[in-house]
Amino acid sequence: MTTATYSDALARYVDFNKKPEQMDIALMAGGALSGAIGLAFVFYMLITEGHSAFNTSSDMAWGAPIAFYLFFLLTSSGLSIIASLDSVFGLRVFYPIAKRAVFLSIICLIAGFSILALEIGRPFRMLWALPFSLQIRSPMWWMGVLYSTDLMLLFVKFYLIHTGDWHSRFSHLIARISFVVCILAPGTLGLVFGMMAMRPAWHSNVMPMYFILTGFTTAVSFMLFFTSLLPRDKTSAPNVDELYHEILPRLFFVLLLAVIAIRFGQIVTGLWSNFEGLEANWLQLQSPFFWIEIVAGLALPTAMMAFDSVRRRPLVQFVAASLFNTGIFFSRLELLIMGQKVPLFKGYWAGYVEYWPSLTEWMLIPAGCGVFLFLYGAGNWLLRLSDTERNNH
Amino acid sequence: MARWGMVIDLEKCTGCQACTTACLMENSRLPGEMWQDVLFYSEGEYPSGKLSWLPRPCMHCENPSCVAVCPTGAAYKAENGAVLIDWEKCIGCKYCMIACPYGVRFYAEEKQKTQPDIRNVFPPSGDKVWDPPYKMPEHVQDPKHGVGIQPKNVVSKCTFCYHRISKAPEGTTDLDPNDPATRDFTPACVVTCAPTARFFGDLDNPESNVRKLIAEKRGTRLLDQTGNRPQVYYLAGESPAIPETRSVRNPKT
Repeated sequence: MTTATYSDALARYVDFNKKPEQMDIALMAGGALSGAIGLAFVFYMLITEGHSAFNTSSDMAWGAPIAFYLFFLLTSSGLSIIASLDSVFGLRVFYPIAKRAVFLSIICLIAGFSILALEIGRPFRMLWALPFSLQIRSPMWWMGVLYSTDLMLLFVKFYLIHTGDWHSRFSHLIARISFVVCILAPGTLGLVFGMMAMRPAWHSNVMPMYFILTGFTTAVSFMLFFTSLLPRDKTSAPNVDELYHEILPRLFFVLLLAVIAIRFGQIVTGLWSNFEGLEANWLQLQSPFFWIEIVAGLALPTAMMAFDSVRRRPLVQFVAASLFNTGIFFSRLELLIMGQKVPLFKGYWAGYVEYWPSLTEWMLIPAGCGVFLFLYGAGNWLLRLSDTERNNH
Repeated sequence: MARWGMVIDLEKCTGCQACTTACLMENSRLPGEMWQDVLFYSEGEYPSGKLSWLPRPCMHCENPSCVAVCPTGAAYKAENGAVLIDWEKCIGCKYCMIACPYGVRFYAEEKQKTQPDIRNVFPPSGDKVWDPPYKMPEHVQDPKHGVGIQPKNVVSKCTFCYHRISKAPEGTTDLDPNDPATRDFTPACVVTCAPTARFFGDLDNPESNVRKLIAEKRGTRLLDQTGNRPQVYYLAGESPAIPETRSVRNPKT
């Protein structure tokens, strides 16, 4: 095959001839700049200081990078659920955002894995040591297996719908398997924390459900965030107005109420209990991350989404989604800190474990978000993300 | 093969930290990276204040949660009962540090508690964390069993001085530092304990000294409710309990 033929073949999948919208250019340029600055800084610090550039320690083994990783992975799973609502459950109204959701899900995973690669001690060793070890007792091993499978299935799913195959038997089979995996993966990630009886602030059989629920809520918030930026009259899908103005915002509101209910239960139980280690629930009241979650992440978006006439407006959706994303982002960090705040066997004199992310850890935010935004801008430009099925089943 | 375990007599322990220092020197640990430590607990005020302490090595559990969570099999239970880390398999995910109920696993890539950073004073050669002037001989170092100076970005922990106990003659019941025949095979913290508060022997042998001490002096294990079943036993004597609380003061009180 000649180079020209390769180019022709590629052009069938990628719209190089399309002129990018201003929004796409802004996303790509902003993402590239942010990602380059973040990655350059983090790489420089890791080369010169190693992982000592992080403020994690033997007492606070998991810090901000793991929290950021959690944020992206759980959001990815939620987006994958959204992408399954049409093909698996027949909720046809979600078709117009299905392709965008699959793409966002893929790039969330890529951003999350990129952060993990920078956090983990020996990332290259992980590539062979993890699959060949068959450590089936380890929830982290299962998490690795499930998220790797998830990513592969998402690639296949995206390829199928990108090439117009929305309704073949194979396409539906992949969609169903992908849905099962995108429930199991965040559930297993919940078990990574929830199974730890020695960490009372995490130990809970509700943790998998909490992760799945908050991942789904973040995903709906992501969809509102990104679609509120789009020129909405450009899509030809018939129900798109109903989807953007009524269904998605209402779903977001209901999910916010569900998250508030589960968080209320967690907080009250934690504050009430005298069990050793659960005093972390009292300590979190002094943390700014906790209040960002409660005020910016839950209270304000819920108030904004409560009234039908208000939540229809794209600007309100954009602001509410931004606030929730910020709140849930910091709630992941607070969750990480809370589970390790009370030290394990250090004696009375050691005190509680103090932790605040280092500059290198904070710079993972522009690094991860930069990668994510660049890929999203490029995808929005080149991959026809507003495509939807054509009722040909 | 013996299943080694340790007994620590809290009535004899003076909290002198000689065990901690011996462990640091024997295993070429960084300052603050104390595989073996003595924890202190205080309660009340003068004139009725109470001070208690607890020597805390790795418990080398029979059912170690750190081994169960390891996604690569780097953490493992050796045939002789020691819980070890294969530094050539460890990916530095630190899940074992999360899952250990006793907080006895360490990651050297952190901001050092003492300055100057000793790793810069004695910079490493190759992939090791540092290169101290006094260190375990190269031929004794054994990364497969987590012995010696660890490579960068892996987790480390007490090995029960695996490089010593693994050389003990087959059939040995107790490793007694006062017996010239077994002294060299005895863990450094046991050898150095001035008040002879530590005992080391075969937990599977009913004739061993450690088994007799556990039976006769009511040996108890730390946090037995976790199901980890430590192979380190404490003799609390007339004290009502071992000072096993893991936390600091409750903010509500």
